[in-house]
Amino acid sequence: MTSLAVTGCGILCSVGIGLDALAGVLARDCEANPGPDVGDLYTDALPSPTGHALVDLNFRQLLGRKGTAFLDRRSGLALIACGRALEDSGLRVDDGNRHRIGVTLGTTWGSLKSMSDYTKESLLEERPYLVNPALFPNTVMNCAAGQAAIWYGLKGPNATIAGGQLAFLSVLVYAANALRCGYADIILAGAVEEFTPHTAWATHQTQPDKSPLTAGEGAAIFVVERSDGAKSADRHLDAEVMSVVTGFSPGGEQSGGMSSALADCIRRALAKANVKPDGVSFVATCETGDEDQDRIEAGAVTAVFGSADVERVLVKKILGECNAATGGLQLATLLVLHRDDPSRDGHISLITGWTRDGGIGAAVLRGWSRVSSHHG
Amino acid sequence: MNRVVITGLGPVSSIGIGISEFDASLREGRSGISRITSFDPTGFPHVCAGEVHHFQPETILRRLNPSFWGRSTLFAAAAARLAVEDAQLDLDQVSSGRVGVVIGTTCGESAVVEALTAEIVERGFEALSPELLHQSPGNRLAHGVSEELGAAGVSLTLGTACSASNYALGYAYDSLRNGEADVMVAGGADAVCRWVHAGFFRLGALARDACSPFDRDRSGILTAEGGSALVLETLDHAQARGARPYAEVFGYGLNCDADHMVAPNAASIAACMRLAHHNASIKPSDIDYICAHGTGTRANDSTEAQAIREVFGERLPPISSIKSMLGHTMGAASSFGAIASVLAITGGFLPPTINWTNPDLELAGLDPVPNKARPAKIRVVQNNGFAFGGNNAILILGACA
Repeated sequence: MTSLAVTGCGILCSVGIGLDALAGVLARDCEANPGPDVGDLYTDALPSPTGHALVDLNFRQLLGRKGTAFLDRRSGLALIACGRALEDSGLRVDDGNRHRIGVTLGTTWGSLKSMSDYTKESLLEERPYLVNPALFPNTVMNCAAGQAAIWYGLKGPNATIAGGQLAFLSVLVYAANALRCGYADIILAGAVEEFTPHTAWATHQTQPDKSPLTAGEGAAIFVVERSDGAKSADRHLDAEVMSVVTGFSPGGEQSGGMSSALADCIRRALAKANVKPDGVSFVATCETGDEDQDRIEAGAVTAVFGSADVERVLVKKILGECNAATGGLQLATLLVLHRDDPSRDGHISLITGWTRDGGIGAAVLRGWSRVSSHHG
Repeated sequence: MNRVVITGLGPVSSIGIGISEFDASLREGRSGISRITSFDPTGFPHVCAGEVHHFQPETILRRLNPSFWGRSTLFAAAAARLAVEDAQLDLDQVSSGRVGVVIGTTCGESAVVEALTAEIVERGFEALSPELLHQSPGNRLAHGVSEELGAAGVSLTLGTACSASNYALGYAYDSLRNGEADVMVAGGADAVCRWVHAGFFRLGALARDACSPFDRDRSGILTAEGGSALVLETLDHAQARGARPYAEVFGYGLNCDADHMVAPNAASIAACMRLAHHNASIKPSDIDYICAHGTGTRANDSTEAQAIREVFGERLPPISSIKSMLGHTMGAASSFGAIASVLAITGGFLPPTINWTNPDLELAGLDPVPNKARPAKIRVVQNNGFAFGGNNAILILGACA
C-alpha cells in the first residue's frame, strides 16, 4: 500500500500564524516562557496574568463578517487553520473533488466554554430555557469539523476525535484508515484547542503546585493524502507518515507500566516504518519541562534511544498546555525544521503522545524541504 | 480481507439493561420515558426524558471503580462488559493488544461538565475541583472501556454527535477487515443533561412527553441517555473459539452535508445511502428493514423519508424508529439501532414505532411498523445515523450466510 503524504499545513499558536512565526521562536530559544498578557481577553478572572493565547487574533478580519457572529473560538481557530492548510498545499476544492475531501479534527472536550456557558445560562436565566438557540451547535463536539465542512464545501467523511493530548495521533490513525479504505482521497487532519477561562483554570487546577505550565491554544491542520495522489497532483511532499500506532496501557499513569508501554508503542511504530532507533534524528514529545510530569514520556524515549544524540523539542515549554492541539503542533515543529533546510531532507522524526488514563501513541515521519521542490 | 461478525450485544437503556430485557421491550413496544431526575427540570414546560433509572454500575463492572469515572463513561463501560459477557468471550484468551475499543458520543462527559459548571456558578472558577476536571475529557469514554476490559489495542472516542456510534461500528469493522485487530468493542454513550434539554426545547424540537416519529402530529425528540456496545470479531476468530455469530457487518458509508449545522439535507443523505450500499455490495432491493434515524422532528422524518424514496423508489422496506421507545440517546443512538437491527435479524421481527396515531400524507407509502412489533424474515438491515454538522453514517448489517 502507498504511504501517506502531508502536503500542506495551517498552523496557529500563541506565537502567531504560520510556520514562520513558529520558526522564529524555535530559533530564538526553547526555554520556557510565560506567553503574552491575557488580561484583556475575558471579563472572567484568569488564574495568571499571562498565558499562551493568540491575544491579537481578529476572527472577523481573517474570516469576514458573514457567518462568524455565532462561531465560538474553537471553531474560529479551526476555520482559519483549514483555510491556511488548503492554501499552503495549493489544493483547490471544486465540484469535481469536494465529495472526496474529508475532515478529521481532534479535541479534548469540544468547546468546554460553549458547553459550560449553555448550562450556566439555563441555570441563571429567569426561565431555564432562555438560552440562545444560535449557540446550541457550539455545544456539540463536532461543531468545528462541521463548520469547516460548510465553510470550505467539503463533503467527504467528516469526523471528530476526542483524544486529549493523544488526539492528533488518533486523528492520523483515523485519517489513514479512511484514506486506505478509499472513503476519501484527501483529509484535512488536525487538532484544535481554544484558550478560555475554562481551559485556563482547568490547566491551573490540575497542575502540580510548582509547575510553570499555563494554558495555551492552537490549531494545527494538515492536508493528508495518499502519496500516489499527491504525486499525480504534483503537490509538495512536506512529510511522509511512515507509521502511526496508538494503544492503551491498562492502569494508566497510576500503574507504573505506562512508560514501558509507551516505549513498546514507539518500538512498534519504528518497526512498522522499518526504521531503527539510530535512524531517528528528531523527537517531538508532549513533555512540559517539569521532571515529575515528564517521567513517563522521558522514560520511554530514553528506553528506546538510550543516550543517543537525538534532537528534542518540548512544544509545551514554548506554547503552553494546548491539550489536543499539542500533537499537531509537534508535527508543525517538524515541518518548521524541514521547510527551508534541504540539508535535512529525508531525515526521520518521531512524535509521541499519551493520556493520564492510559492512552499511548507514536508516529514516525520523514520530512522534506520545499527548497528542493520534492514532489509527492 | 476478513469477514466481520457481531457476537455480543450490550444495551444499558431506559427500556432495559442487558439483552433479554431490551429485546422484550422492543417486542412489546415499551416506552422508557419518564419525568427527569438527572437535573431539576423546574421551569421547563417539558420535563420528560429517557433516563436509565436502575443503573447500578457497580453490579456490572469488574475493574472500574465508579467513583472515579463520569456517568457517560460508566454507561459505555457497563455496556461493553455486558456485550463481552453476551459474547461469552474470555478476554484472557485473546492477546490484549489485539482488542480495540471505539466509542461514539455527542457531548462526552456532559454530566461532569454540568457539575463543574455548578462549581463555577456557586463559588467561581477557583473552586473547580481537580477530581471532576480529570473526569471531564471526552477521551475518557473509550479509555474507561479499555480499562474495564484490560484492552491494549486502539482506544478511540469519536465525537461525531448523533451518528457517532455508527462511525464507531464502521471503524471497528475496518480494523477487523484489515487485520489490525481480532476483537473490537464498539458503541456509544451519552447522559441526559440540562443544556441539551434546554437547547432542543429552544430550537422548538422537543416533544412534551411522547416521541412519535413519522406521525402527522410529531412534535420533536425527547432527550435520552444510555450506553450501548457490540462485540465485533473477524469471522475466523469467532469460529476458532466456537462463538455463534449473530450477524455480519456488510459495510458502511460516511459523508457530510457541508450545508447547515442543524438542518438535514435529503440529497446528501441519499448519497450516503448509495455509498453504504456500494461499500456493502448490495442493492436497495436487498434491504428488508430500515432502522431509521427517526428522531421525531418534522424536519428529520420528512427529510429521511424523502431521501429513502429517492434511493428506493416505489418499493420501500418497513422503516421504524426505536427512538419512539428510547428517546434520542444521542451518541449511543446508532449503536442501539444496530443492536435492534441484529435482534430483528436473529429474532425475525420488526421493532415498532410506538406513539403512532395519524398517517402523514407527506410520508405516504411509508410503513413505520406502527405500535406493534411484527414477525418478518429479515436478512439485510440498513441502520441510519445522521447528526448535527451534517455527519451522516449508514451501516449495513446482514444475516450470517
